[in-house]
Amino acid sequence: MPLNRQSFSSATLVRLSAYGAFVIVILVFAVEARGFLSFINIANVLQQSAIAGLLAFGLTLVVLGGGGNVVTGGIDLSVAATLGLGAAVYATLIAQGQSDLVAVGATLAVGVLVGIANGLAVVRLHILPLLATLAVGKIVSGLEFVLTQNSVVTATSPGLTWLAEIGPLDVPIMAWALVIATVALLLLVQVSPFGLRLHAVGAHPEAARAYGLPVGPLLFLSYVFSGLLSAAAGILLAALLSGSSPGASEMLLPVVLAVLLGVVFSRRLVPTIGGTFLAVLFISILGNGFQLLNISSYWVNGVEGVLILFVVAWTTLSQREAHA
Amino acid sequence: MSNVSVLALKGIYKSFGGVEALSGASLSLERGSVHGLVGQNGAGKSTLVKVLAGIHQPDGGTIEIGGHDTPHLTPHRAESLGIHFIHQDRLLAPTLTVAESLYLGAEPRWFGLPIIDRQRLRRDARDVLQRVFEIDISPDALVRDLSTAEQKIVQITRALLQNPRILVLDEPTTALVRSEAEHLFSAIDRLKAEGLSILYISHYLNEIERLCDKVTVLRNGKDVGTVSPREVPAAGIVAMMIDRKVDALFPKRTSVAGDPVLEVRGLSRDKELSDVSLTLRKGEVVGITGLVGSGTKAFARTLFGLMSPTSGEILLHGERLKPGSTVAAVARGIGLVPEDRRNHGISLDLTVRENATLASLSRFTRKLALLFAKERAAVGDFIDRLGIKTRGPEALLRNLSGGNQQKVVLSKWLIHGSDVVILDEPTVGVDVGAKVDIYREIRALADSGAAILVVSSDLLELTGISDRVAVFFRGRIVAERQASNLNQDDLLQLVTTGQTAEKIRNAAE
Amino acid sequence: MTIVYRFGLVIALLALVVVFSLFAPAFLSVANFQSILFNHFAILSLVAVGMTLVVASGGIDLSIGTAVDMASLGYILLLAQDVPPAEAIAAGLLLALLVGVFNAGLIATLEIPPFLATLGTLFIGQSIQQLATDGGVPVYLIAGAPRPIFGLVDSARLWLVAVSLVATFAVMTYSPFGRKVLAFGIGPQVARYSGLSTKTLTLKVFLLSSLLAGVAGIILSSSVKSYAPLSGNAYLMDAIGATFLGTTLNATGRASIIGTLVGVLLLSVVKNGLLLLGVSFYWQQVVSGTLIFLVLAVSFSGKSAAH
Repeated sequence: MPLNRQSFSSATLVRLSAYGAFVIVILVFAVEARGFLSFINIANVLQQSAIAGLLAFGLTLVVLGGGGNVVTGGIDLSVAATLGLGAAVYATLIAQGQSDLVAVGATLAVGVLVGIANGLAVVRLHILPLLATLAVGKIVSGLEFVLTQNSVVTATSPGLTWLAEIGPLDVPIMAWALVIATVALLLLVQVSPFGLRLHAVGAHPEAARAYGLPVGPLLFLSYVFSGLLSAAAGILLAALLSGSSPGASEMLLPVVLAVLLGVVFSRRLVPTIGGTFLAVLFISILGNGFQLLNISSYWVNGVEGVLILFVVAWTTLSQREAHA
Repeated sequence: MSNVSVLALKGIYKSFGGVEALSGASLSLERGSVHGLVGQNGAGKSTLVKVLAGIHQPDGGTIEIGGHDTPHLTPHRAESLGIHFIHQDRLLAPTLTVAESLYLGAEPRWFGLPIIDRQRLRRDARDVLQRVFEIDISPDALVRDLSTAEQKIVQITRALLQNPRILVLDEPTTALVRSEAEHLFSAIDRLKAEGLSILYISHYLNEIERLCDKVTVLRNGKDVGTVSPREVPAAGIVAMMIDRKVDALFPKRTSVAGDPVLEVRGLSRDKELSDVSLTLRKGEVVGITGLVGSGTKAFARTLFGLMSPTSGEILLHGERLKPGSTVAAVARGIGLVPEDRRNHGISLDLTVRENATLASLSRFTRKLALLFAKERAAVGDFIDRLGIKTRGPEALLRNLSGGNQQKVVLSKWLIHGSDVVILDEPTVGVDVGAKVDIYREIRALADSGAAILVVSSDLLELTGISDRVAVFFRGRIVAERQASNLNQDDLLQLVTTGQTAEKIRNAAE
Repeated sequence: MTIVYRFGLVIALLALVVVFSLFAPAFLSVANFQSILFNHFAILSLVAVGMTLVVASGGIDLSIGTAVDMASLGYILLLAQDVPPAEAIAAGLLLALLVGVFNAGLIATLEIPPFLATLGTLFIGQSIQQLATDGGVPVYLIAGAPRPIFGLVDSARLWLVAVSLVATFAVMTYSPFGRKVLAFGIGPQVARYSGLSTKTLTLKVFLLSSLLAGVAGIILSSSVKSYAPLSGNAYLMDAIGATFLGTTLNATGRASIIGTLVGVLLLSVVKNGLLLLGVSFYWQQVVSGTLIFLVLAVSFSGKSAAH
């Protein structure tokens, strides 16, 4: 019984082409943009990726457990709203004279609560995740509205200042935060049984149920993680802005894009932490390179869109070739 | 063998929305035995299995497991009592590896930490597959890259890892080729010797005969008898399954082949097809068969435009057919009854009417608007003609049995009025009653002037319904005969070796 | 109880109408219903019905707001340069259709999943608008230059909406095309195996939905007499919400135009009613989000209980 080696090589081809596109973009910027490969710039890219990275990691868990089809499966459209509310809660508490410790605790608790709401809606009430998280996101961004009266809240605290500083090895603290979060989540998703089981739930829920996996609790946890990570990103946002300001919702679609793009970096073509990390970096590098090349920022979105369509089209086409 | 019953279902009743699926079905499984369960589709087999699995709660009757009455069975409870199921549907996650699928939920840990010991996972998986099936599947292969047979093997191996007391196998061999099935049978023999009790559900009576100590026959939701398949011949069991006799399974050949309708000349495609020529005539049923990969599927798919040939041409009524286009094929009057009914043939969430007219909507359109009354009437006619058991044209396909769903696919092309109808394994997963209806309809279609191509790996079926048979071997047609001149032994020889017994003898001399 | 589940959306709508009528006297008046229709229902209904077509065909269109914007962009920019309104409208609709063609090409030819394809289009559309307006500066029509045929009077606008909706409903319900879209959405492979041209279907669906979005863009910019870049996106989430709220009315979860319109009506009534009740501007989103959540909870938990 020979294995179907052909589709192995096609998956590899897809992955290689995704990496290829990434490398080519880096090479072009390295040649064209001065200082692109400098240590400071790379640290800078990492710092700029931190917020999107944390949001995308949360979403990765949800999409992994939901099975890839973001319309009928798992998606969390409330991540950006939670980011905004998290930053608002943190900034408001600091502005009212609370300590960083209290603010961290409250912000993360808010994130967990949002995750619990999403999780219950999806697992208990069986609402389509797209809709459940859309509605919860609406409520959450409404709460941010109520809390901040839709205006800028300025806040400074030792914690926020520290987060915006340069840390060990001349690397910004936020870049460290991203690296640490990546490693921790890599362990959780790629190494521990939790990740494998969540993946199994997403890939075939009936099978997972038949195998006695706690499908509901696993899915529930993925939403809680997503809420927690989004709120944690909110703390970083508060540090970056020295407070909070409206407009976090604009982060939603780029983050969704990053997670879906990240899929092409994995052998199984499923969301992975590593793939999402690379995709987030890829998108940050594009923005960064354009900045260095002095290209109008108006081009950034469009070029991102085209590149991503290109990568995905190439992926699907080469897969089709291999399977035809 | 001890006569201790490990499992007893007594007088199980279950109805859905007023329709009784089980009306007092009983079954008793003895320890260390293999017990067959047969019956036509709709006889209640799958409902009985689901009751046993705790998926459905029975309306009446008792379930005794290990001698104890177990009311309120749940899937979890059933499993904790040691009953494991291999369902017909593939229950494996496609993006997991073989090793992960086998040990999911009980992954080997690295020093007891919540870290999966990947090395041990791989080694254990390789060992267990080797031990149970004597098969070498890479533990790192993704499930989606495995053949259906390999997936089934992984699924059964996984169930065995749970140390079951009772194993329920629901049609385990449907996707397996003979040698793979043999592996499974010897594994079952070994497991039986180790004391495992097995409930074996199958359409194939030869398997029942090969494996089972006892077989229970279900008909209309009730057990009509439990016999020893070694004492009662297959024909006797079939007679128990149906009310009528089997001799009239195939309709008489009545049609006379007319002018050529579809002419295929020198069709080739990569390694799958090489220089295949075949002519289908008006009023004729042509059967093609061959091993997996012999080119029969590729041939049918190419005719219907699902694949493009690399060379060769297809002429329909003497005019060239645009290759690689299903749109062109259907527009020119070719219809396909696909093998994978659920994914390609019908939509479960559409109604009978919507499914049946999908290929011929223009027939029911006037001035851009659909003529619903005409549509409903036409579909109603075909429901009567084919004897489709349904509430009516507006019933969802989801609520029909497999055989009736297949009749809806067939009526799609009858309504379309196709002159060429290709049927790919038309009776897979179809009960005996519906089979007879489908055979009759195929013949009626030919009589009305259509040219029919049947792809089938059931040789009895093939010779029974075809006028002419072509055998494929490694992408070529190696023999083309009138069905009446073919005996089963010769046909089997051709299919498996690509040569007639005579030729082999001559070559040896 | 099943009726509550099945028609949860309609019951919620009726209940809200009753509550708002009781507690906000101004709610139950012709003037207010007009306001609901003009300010909330008109544009969203067009966009949401466009979304419904795509969802019914098994996809999703995240760039539907982009089509709204492109129509608005073409229309206003040309009007500002004294091009006759009819031609400006045609140009606007053409730009919207281009968005649809682009999406259909990505999905049908390159086989990119709809979610990603339209997300890419959305990003490209953002750049185009930023580049065309120097980063997002709105374009206003000069107030001093009244144009006799400019824009459309209120009632004419509403007629245009009504005609578009009825025509789309008729096409989807009574034409073979509507049936094919439905079949394609439920079983794309079955459609292909029945000889339907799935590429043509995808193209037609996206043409129709982007045309509806384009009409919405023209109506929007006619009433505000300006083009504000990226404003179409504001309708995206509500359009998705209304479409999927509408699917709860169907036993098998099909997207339907009627369902979507009920969904749009619910969203419109909630916005209007909360305003009239004097709920603080800041709390409105929280309350409307909660209401939608409750409707979803009832409908979906009923569905899962039934299975």
